[in-house]
Amino acid sequence: MTSPQTPSTAAQLRELFKQMVNVATEDRADRFREVALVIWREPFARRTWSEFSFVAIGGPLAAVGAAFVACTLWAGILLTITFFGLAIVALSVRGARGIGGWHRQLAHNLLGEDIAEPEPFVARPGFLGWLQSSLRDRTGWRSMAYIALKLPLAILAIVAGFAFWWDAFFCLAFPVLGGRGNNVPAFGAPNLLFGNGFFSGGQFSGGQFGFLHEVAIFLVGILLFFAAPWAVRGVVYLDRRVMRVMLAPDALSVRVRSLEEARAQTVDTSAATLRRIERDLHDGTQAQLVALAMRLGMAKEKLDDSEHLDLDQVRQLVGDAHQGAKEAIVDLRDLARGIHPPALDIGLHGALSTLAARCMVPTELTATLAERPTPAIEAIAYFCVAELLANVAQHAQASRASVACTENSGWLRIVVRDDGQGGAQLSRLGSSSSGLAGLTDRVHAVDGRLAIESPPRGPTVVTVDLPLHA
Amino acid sequence: MTGPIRVAIAEDSAILRDGLVQLLVDRGFTITGAVADPEALHRSVGMEQPDVAVIDIRMPPTFTDEGLRAALELRRRFPGLGILLFSQYIETRYAAELLADDAAGIGYLLKDRVADVSDFVEALARVASGGTALDPEVITQLLGASRRTDSISVLSVREKEVLSLMAEGRSNAAIGGALVISEGAVEKHVANIFTKFDLPVSQSDHRRVLAVLRYLDS
Repeated sequence: MTSPQTPSTAAQLRELFKQMVNVATEDRADRFREVALVIWREPFARRTWSEFSFVAIGGPLAAVGAAFVACTLWAGILLTITFFGLAIVALSVRGARGIGGWHRQLAHNLLGEDIAEPEPFVARPGFLGWLQSSLRDRTGWRSMAYIALKLPLAILAIVAGFAFWWDAFFCLAFPVLGGRGNNVPAFGAPNLLFGNGFFSGGQFSGGQFGFLHEVAIFLVGILLFFAAPWAVRGVVYLDRRVMRVMLAPDALSVRVRSLEEARAQTVDTSAATLRRIERDLHDGTQAQLVALAMRLGMAKEKLDDSEHLDLDQVRQLVGDAHQGAKEAIVDLRDLARGIHPPALDIGLHGALSTLAARCMVPTELTATLAERPTPAIEAIAYFCVAELLANVAQHAQASRASVACTENSGWLRIVVRDDGQGGAQLSRLGSSSSGLAGLTDRVHAVDGRLAIESPPRGPTVVTVDLPLHA
Repeated sequence: MTGPIRVAIAEDSAILRDGLVQLLVDRGFTITGAVADPEALHRSVGMEQPDVAVIDIRMPPTFTDEGLRAALELRRRFPGLGILLFSQYIETRYAAELLADDAAGIGYLLKDRVADVSDFVEALARVASGGTALDPEVITQLLGASRRTDSISVLSVREKEVLSLMAEGRSNAAIGGALVISEGAVEKHVANIFTKFDLPVSQSDHRRVLAVLRYLDS
């Protein structure tokens, strides 16, 4: 195709390319300006001096901590053959925990580094209990490991911080103060950078402290001044990483804590459930049975009194009692089903199909389960679906709903979907312990998850993940 | 007492409340009010001044011991008012609190007891006229809870039976009827009990209960 447009296309392309290069150049210029600005500002930034303070305060603390741990451990080990050895080691672990806490506090105050607080130390009763608890305090031992690691880190930080800053100011002041002596009390950052003998004269000006020498040293000072924040930051960064690992609760404690919380929640939930069942029995069935017995008692006494026998009255009483008995049976059945759905005896699939069939909104059930979950999981799954379908029927104004139940590598996933108005929220849906909030607790108790996706105007999708075995 | 006994009922279960009203009306009582919570009970009793109030222990708002609190309060305001506490369970603490200063005109019955209509009505009438009606369960628990349970063991089996019935507020004649023994035999047992417990003998029904309870409480 030979059209007159070809050259113009090429021109366009050229233009485009030029623009791209320009943009790239501008971008690079922008980036450069940004970086320059950051470097320019950094020596004066608050963060820089917070980090410097962290190094300045943390250094001595590290030294004290290391000395404490070294002394106590050493003494403890020396005395191991006596009982005191163990006690001193325990003291060492307890002390290490405290020092670790100081470091954590320092990091929080000066670096804004929020490291989760470990569980507080709980000693068993008695001295032996204290000893045992102290020696087995994982947090204490981990703090001790941090103190051991902190010492080289602190030395590095002091070297980086003071060498850079001190030398920077020394070099900057050199043209004014220097030149007068050959002895230069530098920490050594320039020596490290430029080799020994840097200040001893002659490097730049043939053995004389000349003008060129002074200018060179002044320039090095400027370089060090702007490099110093980054040197400190580098070491502090390393320290932060170590702290996050060693001073935070370890994975095991985190797990223990979450399990403890889940257990407390389960206990609360089951206590609440029991109370609800008791209330239902007390207010419902028991009252019905008392009323029933009362009517029968009245009827019986009327029958005994053959002189004033009013059969109609007796018939009325027995009729009421009969009605009451039937109501009590229905209530009792509902209550029993709420405690443990008998449908679950034939399996989750069967139970869910009963639920789906009973739902007021047409509900489609798909379930592929190769392996049967444990009874507790089946019960939770069942109550979740029951509650979710009840919500669909009550609130969603949906025309269709679906329940999908799948199993994937040890997990049971239940997805309840409806085409209703959406806008469902945990807080709105579940107010009571039997509501969705209660279900969330039960799901969490077995390490499961419950997620609600319900944009305004729908559709609502609730996903429940449960481990197959709990 | 002249005329029918006037009864106020506080029971939050509608089915039971209606049943009680039906039963008591059938038995010739006058119902001055049938309410579902303590506040309404206070109003009703204040206005109608019934002879006796039948009070469910568990009532709104917290469904714990509202009925008992209401009963103690009513007793303070209207010393002559009979109180029949009515509950699904017997709590020893409630019984002890209720009987703390005076057992006259006090009843504490399991709800089950309405099934034996005549006994229930009799107990209610007794409470209304200043007597006592304690559920056998209450007696058992009080005996069990007493720190001096070992003292009870000095009683013979028959004496324990008599003591229980006595504590329920029954008269000697009624005790004799229940145990199928003569009234004279009952009197002998009662005298034995008081001797063994080192208590002065008294004729009045509720004062005997008082004596027993005071002994148990000591």
